[in-house]
Formats: sequence, structure tokens, C-alpha cells
Amino acid sequence: MALVSGPGRGEGIPDSELHSSKHVTYIKNLDTRKDELEYWLTEHLRLNGVYWGLTALHILGCPDTLPRDQTIDFVLSCQSDNGGFGAAPGHDAHMLYTVSAVQILITIDAVDELEKRGRGGKEKVGSFIANLQNADGSFMGDQWGETDTRFLYGALNALSLLRLMDLVDVPKAVAHIQSCENLDGAYGIRPGAESHAGQVFTCIGALAIAGRLDLVNKDRLGAWLSERQIESGGFNGRPEKLADACYSWWVGSSLAMIDRLHWIDGEKLAAFVLQCQDPDAGGFADRPGNMVDVYHTHFSLAGLSLLKFNGLEEIDAINSCMPKAITAKCLAG
Amino acid sequence: MAVPLRADDCDSMVAEHEYTIETLKKISELLSSNPEYYTAWNYRRQVLQYQFSQAEGSDDDAAAHSITELIMNDLHFLIPLLRSFPKCYWIWNYRLWLLDEARRLLPLPEAQQIWQQELALVGKMLTLDSRNFHGWGYRRFVVETLKELGTAEEARSMTQKEFEYAKKMIGANLSNFSAWHYRTKLIQSLLDEQSASDDDRRRMLDDELSLIHQAFIDPYDQSLWFYHQNLMCVFDPSMAERTMAPNLSSSDRLQYIRNEIEEIQEMLDGAEDCKYIYQALIECTLLASKVEGSLSSEDRDQILGWLSELKKLDPLRRERWLDFEKTL
Repeated sequence: MALVSGPGRGEGIPDSELHSSKHVTYIKNLDTRKDELEYWLTEHLRLNGVYWGLTALHILGCPDTLPRDQTIDFVLSCQSDNGGFGAAPGHDAHMLYTVSAVQILITIDAVDELEKRGRGGKEKVGSFIANLQNADGSFMGDQWGETDTRFLYGALNALSLLRLMDLVDVPKAVAHIQSCENLDGAYGIRPGAESHAGQVFTCIGALAIAGRLDLVNKDRLGAWLSERQIESGGFNGRPEKLADACYSWWVGSSLAMIDRLHWIDGEKLAAFVLQCQDPDAGGFADRPGNMVDVYHTHFSLAGLSLLKFNGLEEIDAINSCMPKAITAKCLAG
Repeated sequence: MAVPLRADDCDSMVAEHEYTIETLKKISELLSSNPEYYTAWNYRRQVLQYQFSQAEGSDDDAAAHSITELIMNDLHFLIPLLRSFPKCYWIWNYRLWLLDEARRLLPLPEAQQIWQQELALVGKMLTLDSRNFHGWGYRRFVVETLKELGTAEEARSMTQKEFEYAKKMIGANLSNFSAWHYRTKLIQSLLDEQSASDDDRRRMLDDELSLIHQAFIDPYDQSLWFYHQNLMCVFDPSMAERTMAPNLSSSDRLQYIRNEIEEIQEMLDGAEDCKYIYQALIECTLLASKVEGSLSSEDRDQILGWLSELKKLDPLRRERWLDFEKTL
């Protein structure tokens, strides 16, 4: 799965229709574009790309579009001896790709392949993740030390899907998230950092997984999040910034997690997102008129699913950005 | 010129532990064409660490000299990349690693000098994009480290300088919430580092209130209202502890809030369609009731009046206002 952008552009004119079959074709063809320069320039995101494409196809109701065996082969080919996963074969293991690998394997019900063909079973993956927790509860992306609430969320997300939460210190992780909360009720990338909608998603998502949403000032955060919707109908990520289709997920799911998704205008949001699609060649862009890519395609569709857009499979807003039917099964009992 | 897209050469050189200048050059070529190739940044770290360890074999002065040179060269290599790819996490992240190596390996004065130069660089980056959150995050790291490396006196003067910097950035663009946010954090540090008295804190609060009132010349700017909201937390009994003036008495808090309500009401004149004004009036009135322990029927009526304006002016968030109405 490549992350090659284009060929199309978000149309930018009002469109009430979701061009589902075009989006399916767009995603299906992504991996046939290996002759393009950009295919190689996006190798660092390949495993994420598979997760985005696969999940988008599930949302579109075409879960079997990608060949399952090849998908498993590719995922396992990205695993390192330490149990973690890199972006592509030969790349170093990192939290971001390890989380994508877990999400993909859960989605296609192939976690047991880790035991059969991978470099150790799921415990090995879990220990890679757990070893990245710092003494203050935060998580590093890899051995080189960058910390970010994205990695903390990723860790809890993957470990909860693998049912290995007891490998890490959850109360400390929760305390770290609290230290990232600002007076506006929202959260930043690290303590002291400005509130950012993407980071809010990671912090609220982690608290949801930890069962500690009681710590959130829901009205205050809900107010901040709802102010992300601007006149165009789209969401921005911070005050006085441009709207971007991917925030329909980051902001929308955060609102859903605190039971305040109705605080924004869903119809206007959907209308904005639909303007970001290419109705001919498929795919979504960050905003109308820009080049489409698989990242924005996935998060636009996830956002639309959150809004219960007609014809889309239901996405799980709380446990992981995955089809609800799958997380419900995985986390049941 | 052939652009190296794959790391094949680098892969094998690193796998063979060929941590040479030649390998570094290959890695540089790869990263210059694709700085998102994160594994190559890790290769670079391995090569550098090897070269540092080689340098450490010589006497102290010579070692410090060689390591400084290696680090300075590498910092220099990164600058055009940062300029071309200012939102690439890996570059910022690698640069911080390099600076941490300087701190770990070099005598204090040399390390301090290297870190000090970073302030100028990040200043330039933030001039190019004043909302780049990588840049702001980086700036916080640099400042925190310089404070740790310096004396308490130097740390205080550093905070003061940063306060001036945030002021300058706000002056250049009042909508820059990143700078307003930084200001909120700096005020806290400034007061704490000075062991400020409650009177000092109150003076700071008064200055901030008068500043934001002046800034409200454009009441349609959301950034200003979020800063105002930050300031109002001072008067919120449940949040005051986290603010610049945590120890105000209830009667002082009330006095301040009532003044705010008056100030904001005056802003309505000519800006009757500005939703932020009604939101702030409601928030302040609710805050007053929180301090007083109950909402008077007079205040309640006022709130209902503002709320009906909001429902008209802010249809996007209509459900939020309806939810709020139910709580009254």
C-alpha cells in the first residue's frame, strides 16, 4: 500500500453523494503504482498505509478487497527481532508502526500468526511496547527517546487490543496525560505544550482505554472541541487555523468519547468532508482542491462513519479507530 | 544527479559496522532527498556515536574539540532540511538528540554555547511559521535545558527574556494563540522563580487583564478569547490553584469578575453579532455564581437573554447551547 498522493484532487464543489466504489478502486490501486517516484518516498509510512487502506475498505463495506495472506506476509516482514515493527521491511521498529501492525492483525483476525510465523507471539510485541514506557508514565517512540502523547495512546491502544494492558503502569500513564492538560480543558503533545486536537484525541483515547474519562472536564473540553468547527463546516486543529478533513476524526471521535458529538453541526461537517473527495478517481484530500491521499481518505471516511453517514460500516470511536464489529468481538468477554 | 531513494547502500554499510565518513555521506544524501526515512536517522546516530567514542580516546581537550566539530557539522547539515521540511518530526527529533549528546559529552561551557545558538535558530523558524508547533515545542526544550545548565539567576533572566519574546510574537500577530499559550506558561514560571508575593501576582494579573482588554479591539479573534478564558481561571475556585494568582479571596474574585462582565458588556456596542462576547458574559456570570455559591434569578435571566442571542448567532453549536439551557 503506497501513500502516493493524487492522482486526483478533492473536487471542492458541493456534493451530497459519497462515491464509494471510486474510493474502493482508489485504495485497491494504490499498490500498483510502484513505478512512481513518490511510492519510494513514502516507504516510511507503508505499514500505516496498509492500516489506513484496510480500515477504509472495511468502513466502505468491502473488507475482503485486500488479499489476506499477502497482507499477513507483509506485516510480518516488517517485524524486528525485538518484537516491534518498522514501516517497511528493513526499517527500524517504532511504536507508530507497531500499533498499525497490531490493528491490521486484529482486523484480519491473524494475531495467532505472530506465534506461528512471527518473531515470537503477541507477548513479544507487548514487551517491545512496554519497554518504551518511561518512569514518569509517558512513552517513547523508540529507543532514541522522543516522547509524545501519540506514543502513549498507541501503546495503550495496541496493548488493550492484545489484552496485555498489565504489562505497563496504567496509573502512571494516566497521571502523565493529566500533566498535559491545559486551562482550556484540552491537551498538548507534552506537559507545557499548546492544546492541539490531534493530541486531544490521543489523550482522551488513552483515558477512555484506561477507563478514566471521569478525569476529563467534559464541558470545558467539549466547548474547546466544538469551537474547532469553522464556517466552512470543517474542523481545524487549533484556534485560528485552517480546516482539514482528518480532524473530522480527531475532533469528532474525541467529542464522541465525552458524549458531546451532537455539539457540532454534523451535516455541515459531512458536507465539508464530501467536498474533499475526488468523485472521479476516488480518494480524499485534506481540504477542497488539494491532492488526495490514503491518510485523508481513511480519516475522512472514519469521520463520516462517526456521523452515521448512510451506507458506511460503523467505526469504533472509543477503543481504536477500527470497525466496531471487530473491536467488539476482540474486546468482548 | 541520481537521487538515492533506497537505503540499500546505507543498510549494508551500517550492518557491516562501517561507521565511516563515507557512510555518513551516503546517509546525508539519502536524508536530503527524503528526510522522512526515519531508519536512516537512526543509522546516522549510530555512526555519530561511533565517531564520538573514537574521539573520546584522545586527551580531554582534543576529544572535546573533535566532538564539538562533529556536532557542529551535523547541526549545520540539518538547517537546510529544517527549512525545507519544517513539519518533519524526525529532523527536529534528531537535532534534539544531537544536542543531548553535546550535553552528555562536552564540558559545560561548550555544551551551553551549542544550546544557546539554538534559540536563534528556532527564533528564525518561528518567524517563518509562527504557529509551527514543532518549533514551539523545540523552543521549550531548548529553554528548559539552558535553565538546567545555567545558574538560578541565569534561569530567571532566561524566563524574563522568553516572556519578552512571547510579547514580541503576540505584538506581531494578535491571533497567534501559540504565543498566548506560551505567555500563560511563562507568567507562571516567572512568578514562581521570583517567589512572587500575592501582591506581585495580583499586579501581574492586573497587567494581563488590561493587556487583553486592549487587544480586544478585534473581538472576533478566537485566540484572544481563549487567553481571556485562561485568565478567568484565576477566579475559578476549582482551577485557581493552577493559575498565576491562586490565593485571591472570594470577595476579590467576585469584584474582578463583576468588573470583567462590565468591560465585556461595553464591547457589545458595535459588535452585537460577536458570539464570543455572549459566551464570555455567560461564562463570567456562571463563574460569579460559583464563587457566590448560587445563581441569582437576575443573573439567570441575563444568561437566558445572552443564550437566546447565541442560539441565533451560533447555529453550528446549537445543540451545545440547548444542552446548556437545560442545566439552568
